[in-house]
Amino acid sequence: MFLSVGVRFEANVEALNMVETAGNYSKHRRVPYLVEEDGKLKTVYVPALSGESLAHAYQEHLVREALGLGLSVCDDCRRNEFYKSMNKVHLKKKVNPIPDDPRDIEIAIVRSCVVEDVGGFLYAEKPPVRRSSAFQVSYALPVKSVALFATSEPQLHARHAQMDTSSKKGNASEQMIYYVETGTALYGFTFNLDLDAIGVSAITSEPILDENELKIRREAAMRALFRMLSSAQFGAKLSRFFPVGGITEVAVAVTEHPFVVTSPIYDDYIARTERRLKVLEGLGENYLFTVATGEKVPEEALKEAVDYLREQGAF
Amino acid sequence: MVPLTFFLKVTMRPTGIVALRALPQSKMRTALRYVPPTTLIGAIAYPLHHLSGNRAETVYDRKTFKSTADGVKNLFEWVTVKTIGKPRLYGALLKINTVYRGKAQSAVTSFPSAVMYGSGDFTITAVYLVNEEKLSKGPYTMKDLERAAWGITRLGSRESVVSVENVETGKAEISEASSAETSYAFPFKGFEVQGRGTLQSVVDWRSGIGDYSSAKRIVMFYPEGTVSVRGKLSVTTVGGETLVLAP
Repeated sequence: MFLSVGVRFEANVEALNMVETAGNYSKHRRVPYLVEEDGKLKTVYVPALSGESLAHAYQEHLVREALGLGLSVCDDCRRNEFYKSMNKVHLKKKVNPIPDDPRDIEIAIVRSCVVEDVGGFLYAEKPPVRRSSAFQVSYALPVKSVALFATSEPQLHARHAQMDTSSKKGNASEQMIYYVETGTALYGFTFNLDLDAIGVSAITSEPILDENELKIRREAAMRALFRMLSSAQFGAKLSRFFPVGGITEVAVAVTEHPFVVTSPIYDDYIARTERRLKVLEGLGENYLFTVATGEKVPEEALKEAVDYLREQGAF
Repeated sequence: MVPLTFFLKVTMRPTGIVALRALPQSKMRTALRYVPPTTLIGAIAYPLHHLSGNRAETVYDRKTFKSTADGVKNLFEWVTVKTIGKPRLYGALLKINTVYRGKAQSAVTSFPSAVMYGSGDFTITAVYLVNEEKLSKGPYTMKDLERAAWGITRLGSRESVVSVENVETGKAEISEASSAETSYAFPFKGFEVQGRGTLQSVVDWRSGIGDYSSAKRIVMFYPEGTVSVRGKLSVTTVGGETLVLAP
């Protein structure tokens, strides 16, 4: 089974994804938005969140859900440091001595860590072993029809510290101003999850785990997505810049084989996705498509998807 | 009797970003502006394998290894792409702080991407010409290929999510010509081209998919809009559009 979710969320005054700092100024991630005016192209920079940022948050939720279900998570991932068995130093924490056969390396990693099973890894030694992530996340970009209303504004802050002469070092001042660039936009992003990839070897195609554990891991992967969206716990600086807003729309498609909902950055994404799914039906494929707009809340749509997956025997 | 070949014409909408690395493992990881043929093969290989329950990604053969996409490359006579809207290469600067052997170090880098995002329409249309003989000898049918085309999820990295908006199938006729007008990428070799476009060095997918450290490369011309091509051409028409094939 394959799950694809289109999410629209409103975020006012957020600092969810910061990039470079220049002195006391930290910048929000931005992307160029190309506008054509009188035959000439103009670039407007709008705030954005990278897929990597969202992927990191998803994996943090996956750690918590997996541990809650009594599944194995390696020490690095438990600390939310997703090194993913990238070299011998990290792999030795899971299996020592390290096997020579790539198949055995993959089995050892997948068995000992749900996050590396679902999120993939790249062991960059000899022999190299790679496993693609079972989930994919696009950038979160402002919805195209209102992208020009998205803003990136610096907010001034001041740090105060009382210092007496004995604790003062160098020319450190008691007050220091700094700026955090905040974004405001209606964002859209796509999240895909290939449930069939979980617990199955990316070398031999054979299941690495028994059917029961496969099902529990799939459930953990779904719960992590549910929790991430429902709690709005993704992105940076949530402690002081928790965005004002929330999820406005969710569209969920569950299919037998890969299929991606039209990106929610386009206004016609729900209608287009419905029409495209009708084509799949013509090819003899069953699917579930549910949307949360207006009356229905996102959690209801996600629960429908979970119930459908349970009916289909995914977990 | 001119041979006809099956084609798949796949129209995709990007989710704003297409991140494809031109030179992996370099300090400044330059992005490709346009989608190379190897990525198009990999993109369709994943859903195609999914249909048969094949989850394998890497094939190990003694000390060499290849992508399983290499196993499906022979199903295609030719692959090419048309891009509507000019992608813009952009990457934010990232500061990386590390501690190496007890010393704090700082470096600045960037991971640029091709940004396909703006008030206009950005679409990527891939065309796959199918080798029917190879297809008939393998486990997949034309219907499987069509379903796989609908199942393309990304072009390259896991952030480069796309949605397939339309799949057209049919039969195409390959013929000789001295001139053609095309919007699709073609190998830049001994042709006279009139119009705007970008030259991009890409891995020749026919030489193998997986390890590109010593792979053969070809120069492809990616048109902006439509260009006129003159020379000794091999051409075909799919869904009313002309493709220029490899000489």
